[in-house]
Amino acid sequence: MSENHDHEHDHTDGHHHDHTPITNEETPGYYEILEISIRELLIARGLIGADEVTKQIEVLDSRSPVLGSKLVVKAWLEPDFKERLLKDGNAAAEEMGITIYDNTAFTVLEDTPELHNVIVCTLCSCYPRPILGLPPDWYKSKEYRSRTVNEPRAVLAEFGTLIPEDVKVQVQDSTASQRYMVLPLRPAGTENFTREELESLVTRDTMIGVTIPKINNN
Amino acid sequence: MITVEHNPALFKEGEKVRVSEKFPIGHYRVPTYLRGKTVTVAKNLGRHINPEEEAFGKNAGNELWYYQVIIAQKDLWKEYLGSKDDTLEIEVFENWLEPIK
Amino acid sequence: MSTENLVKHLRNDIGGTGCSDDKVNIFERDLYPWEKRCHALLDVLDYHKIVNTEEKRRGTENIGSEMVGKLSYYEKWIVSASNLLMQKGILTPDDIAEKTKEVAARFDVTL
Repeated sequence: MSENHDHEHDHTDGHHHDHTPITNEETPGYYEILEISIRELLIARGLIGADEVTKQIEVLDSRSPVLGSKLVVKAWLEPDFKERLLKDGNAAAEEMGITIYDNTAFTVLEDTPELHNVIVCTLCSCYPRPILGLPPDWYKSKEYRSRTVNEPRAVLAEFGTLIPEDVKVQVQDSTASQRYMVLPLRPAGTENFTREELESLVTRDTMIGVTIPKINNN
Repeated sequence: MITVEHNPALFKEGEKVRVSEKFPIGHYRVPTYLRGKTVTVAKNLGRHINPEEEAFGKNAGNELWYYQVIIAQKDLWKEYLGSKDDTLEIEVFENWLEPIK
Repeated sequence: MSTENLVKHLRNDIGGTGCSDDKVNIFERDLYPWEKRCHALLDVLDYHKIVNTEEKRRGTENIGSEMVGKLSYYEKWIVSASNLLMQKGILTPDDIAEKTKEVAARFDVTL
């Protein structure tokens, strides 16, 4: 009986796939064999096209936090765009050439000096994949999903984030078709930053709400 | 011109409502932690196929209104340790909300 | 002890049930290629409404507590998709048995 894949991928930190190979160079385990079988059966029956999965992988690979950071910084720099982004996230994303491919309502939550947003999906792993790409494992974990709703400040502290008592923390539990992204506050002292410098402050974790943008990022 | 709305939304933004206490089996999208709680309607999110039925293959047909509702964390959890103003928002379908008499 | 909670309370419905001592393991890794193909496959199935996303979610919930606890995220997805395709009469158990045997042989793997 085959074992679960539990090996580490041989990629260095920071390496980003822009193409995921469809073939596998190692011995597949049971679940990979099942995946290959289901896909080939469906193609053979004419239920899905032979290249649809590959094309969808390209779509998935084209989405990453870089897109989110561009939306955030454009909102920081252009008040009109910010208004459009908050009013209708799907339309604002389309303006930037980002199609929402999964019938979800991309919804941006604005942080203010009085309010900090953090996003979780307690029931599964709802996440704005068309904008930010695939979620990190910790977002899908039991610990994050079970504890963020009732002790958000403790969970945020584990990410190194301390929200002052007088700032309200609002947890968004994603359960339907809205897909949320935080529009973090622009840090003080960034008045002379270029667009690129600003974008580098807006990491994925700041758009989930577990961290806030900081000028001296580790 | 008179228009007739055949399926008006039951609840308005700002209205206080109660999340039902009931026990579907098979599939549901209202977490147990929210059941029986009093929440405020923050936003009408429009209509969508009821996910409980969508989970059994219903891809088209009557859609149900759903809402973003909000509740103070101190009213949601017996021992909430954060700030007294902290809140939680969540999306809930109309079949799970009851008016408060 | 009553078993009715096993029926009424879905295993994935865990909001508010965690213990403060269970720290978040701030870990992430790239998807294995098969996992990415699996994700893309379910997206394609949803697009065609052969298996919609909510059905897939239900399928990852109703495999029973032991599998919910022990299978990884994408392992649950492919099992869910397989079960749903059989329930809908699109594939039969024997289709899957014969095909997995053929694919395993291709890679010189014994199931």
